Amino acid sequence: MNTLSRRTLLAASGGIVLARPALAQAGWPSRPVQMICPWAAGGGTDAVLRIIASLLEKELGQPFNVVNRTGGNGVVGHAAIVQAQPDGYTIGMLTSEICMLHWQGLTQITFRDYTPLSLMNFDPAGVQVNTSSPWKDIRQCAEAIKASRPGQLKASGTGQGGTWHLALAGWLVAMDLQPDHVRWVPSNGAAPAMQDLAAGGLDLTTNSVVEARAMLDAGRARSLVVMGPQRLPVWPDIPTLKEAMNLDWTAGAWRGIAGPRNMPQEARTALEAGLKRVYDSHEYQDFMNARGFGLLWGDAAGFARHLETQDASLGSAMKAAGLAKA
Amino acid sequence: MEGLIEGAALIAAPDVVAAILASAVYGLVIGALPGLTATMATALLVPVTFYLSPIAAVATIITASAMAIFSGDIPGCLLRIPGTPASAAYTDESYAMTRKGQAEMALGIGLWFSAIGGIVGTLALMVLAPSLAEIALSFSTFEYFWLALLGLMCATLVARSSPVKAIAAMLMGLLVSCIGVENPAGTPRFTFGVTDLLGGIEPIPALVGVFAVAQVMRALLMPEPPPIPRRRFGSILAGQWALTKRYPKPLVRGNIIGVIVGILPGAGADMAAWISYAAAKKFSREREKFGTGHPEGLVEAGAANNSALASSWVPALLFGIPGDTITAIAIGVLYMKGLNPGPTLFTENASSMYALYLIFILANIVMLPLGIAMIRTSTLVLRAPRAAVMPVILLLCAVGAYAIGNNLFAVVLVAAFGCLGFLMERNGYPVAALVLGIVMGRMVEQNFITSLIKSDGSLAPFVERPISGVLAALTFTAVLWPVVIWVVRRLRPARLRPTEAAE
Amino acid sequence: MQLSDRVTGTVLVALGGLAAWGGSRLPAVPGQDVGPAAFPMLIGFGLVGCGLMIALGIGHSFEVEEDESTSGTWLYGLRALLPPTLLLAYVLVVESLGFLLTAAGLVLTVAFAFGARPRLAIPLAVLAPLGIHLVFYKLLRVPLPDGLLAAPW
Repeated sequence: MNTLSRRTLLAASGGIVLARPALAQAGWPSRPVQMICPWAAGGGTDAVLRIIASLLEKELGQPFNVVNRTGGNGVVGHAAIVQAQPDGYTIGMLTSEICMLHWQGLTQITFRDYTPLSLMNFDPAGVQVNTSSPWKDIRQCAEAIKASRPGQLKASGTGQGGTWHLALAGWLVAMDLQPDHVRWVPSNGAAPAMQDLAAGGLDLTTNSVVEARAMLDAGRARSLVVMGPQRLPVWPDIPTLKEAMNLDWTAGAWRGIAGPRNMPQEARTALEAGLKRVYDSHEYQDFMNARGFGLLWGDAAGFARHLETQDASLGSAMKAAGLAKA
Repeated sequence: MEGLIEGAALIAAPDVVAAILASAVYGLVIGALPGLTATMATALLVPVTFYLSPIAAVATIITASAMAIFSGDIPGCLLRIPGTPASAAYTDESYAMTRKGQAEMALGIGLWFSAIGGIVGTLALMVLAPSLAEIALSFSTFEYFWLALLGLMCATLVARSSPVKAIAAMLMGLLVSCIGVENPAGTPRFTFGVTDLLGGIEPIPALVGVFAVAQVMRALLMPEPPPIPRRRFGSILAGQWALTKRYPKPLVRGNIIGVIVGILPGAGADMAAWISYAAAKKFSREREKFGTGHPEGLVEAGAANNSALASSWVPALLFGIPGDTITAIAIGVLYMKGLNPGPTLFTENASSMYALYLIFILANIVMLPLGIAMIRTSTLVLRAPRAAVMPVILLLCAVGAYAIGNNLFAVVLVAAFGCLGFLMERNGYPVAALVLGIVMGRMVEQNFITSLIKSDGSLAPFVERPISGVLAALTFTAVLWPVVIWVVRRLRPARLRPTEAAE
Repeated sequence: MQLSDRVTGTVLVALGGLAAWGGSRLPAVPGQDVGPAAFPMLIGFGLVGCGLMIALGIGHSFEVEEDESTSGTWLYGLRALLPPTLLLAYVLVVESLGFLLTAAGLVLTVAFAFGARPRLAIPLAVLAPLGIHLVFYKLLRVPLPDGLLAAPW
């Protein structure tokens, strides 16, 4: 009895020893991958990342676990991606804040500290007003702004120096006004701003249309324009700034996937291919369209270029608005 | 009517029923474990909801959060470690009842009146949602400021210690809430270059540290308390009906406060519990009994925090505006499952809406038997040796704090707040007021500054707007109350003295 | 440790002063008349006020005397520092040792500190970390470091 079980044990361990090299040669990914989300569970970024993670799991055969690392306006999570082991088993989602945080002096990390993998989404800023507002289109709104005293009108959409604040500032500059001609009222995100708009406490908000969706559907607010390169599929009646006012200003929040610098080539190739398939999949497209998120694809090289141009343009917009410290 | 029937059909689906039961147990257990909170319980559910059908997914969030808010009372009552910031308002009271040997009654109150509160809140949601939503939308930053300040002032009314120390504790909490970059100016404050502090101090590690860890620390210095005599309580619910008849006003008032405070986005169960406990104390005829183990405050606050939870879904469902972190998570899940908040939810998806209402009611009903089982199991903790319970509590503190943001820094915070809480309690500073300050600090500052920006620096709208004016008056009353009492006390012996001299 | 009201009051005054000073050094932000300095300064002044009142004994009449039976010397009081120390040790060690071992160490230490006998402490130190690991790692998908000893699931 004893010798039998001992033999079986030896055979079993021999089998494991032989099997190990075979497992190691299976290639990336051979164990679960962690995807870091710099924002809280249940939010927009978290939702997009989770759908990407679940689709990647199907494509590449290993679990892709989303881990929320929140704090510091996104700094903690973005820093966690940079500091992770560059073995391809920890990647994460980058949001447009990465091109703004270092300008504000909140971190030393810049887009150059990452291996860009793909750009997955872009939500342009919009201009929303209360339904009882006298401005029926963006031209009337712009006229009213030009006619107003500096600081008389109030806008909101996010915190001080956030993406939508910059969107407003850049639009004002494009109209040859001072970037703070409309006073910015900081808020804890788009939802409280939309609520204040509906309560009559603000003149306009510049968050994305998708964040204003519930209020738009409820008939409490109207979206006048979209600051993006093209109209949104879910709201085809909202014109772009280019169409309505012939201005070239675009601004918005974008999200992409990246890993720490110096990732192994094998992981990068597998991920880039997998992400493209995820982007093209009808699950992803359906999800984004149903929710109202904007679709924008960039492969690794495209994402890298996007990061560079965004960093520069956001930097100059922030300096013009007096929001940059570095 | 067919909407209701369709809704009922939707929840009769086996996966929804299973989801409700499973998440009920989950919510009860997580909420009851010291060091873990209702918010944590809900946040950790999000990945799970991914694999569920829409109604089942929302059912898990609703049920788990409702259960966890109630069961957060359990460790607060038995161990003086509140499971949620809301329970912190009346932890001392329920713990006092435990020390008198009335633990089952205190928990029974929590259970029974929470269930009532939850059902009343749901009925308010069903019947009054549009009108409540109108109220919610008429609150701008000026009103919120006064509401937040009013909530803060409750710290003074509730404390058994010197109101000066209560205010000092609250101010310390406000100071803690200043840390970080999440202020209207977007400027990093008091971060000392530590990246992890940029996001500020979350209330939950502070709560866990200041109550749970401090409790363990205190226990190390005290000999093992004598075992509480074993008494078989017949039915946990038997005494509740008598209490309902004895305290109808606190019950009704608690429900009303809960519903109104709950629909205001940004306020929520925490504030509702504090305000209602303070109101109970203020309007009670047996004021001096508060803090010694008196049921009245528990009745009111227990009802308030669950009805606030239900009514906080009004702005969430109608406008996608989160009332607190739990509803923020719930909104995210709704969107993810294609149940976009907004009027379309009511018109196109009416059956889903009714399904949601029914789930609320079901959750509160299911809470009763499951809650009783939970209470009976957890009172066993009272009989377990300290040496077994305390290590597990400490471990849960570490893991629970880590689990929220997957950040070890949270554990450091828990340790630091443990020391702070220990020192404060030793010297008579109520730690619940500290937690209140941390929870409310941002709301006060945010609304103050943004109101000033909107009024171009003028303070007039703060009192001119009608609702603002009312809230301002209430706040000043709350502030001046202890001062008035002090003055009156000073005057009374003076009135006696002349008569004594005359004798 | 129980300090006199004078001491805690003075500490508060100092804290309030620091807060107000630190707040006053914060730069204003364009577009906001009342900047980030306002709140900390207000709180600082409030703390100074409260600290003074406490040090002078105002409001003391409201206090209810709680009897805390604490025996032993100052050295015995250091026991209270055990939980925070263990938590800090957890933070330092968990990534390298792994959750199961660190948690077991924590549980064991606290159990012994409360006077548990080995026949209670050791099974507890084995079962509690396993149970918690199961719930958090498997059920809630919270990544707990494996370190030297990984869980079998």
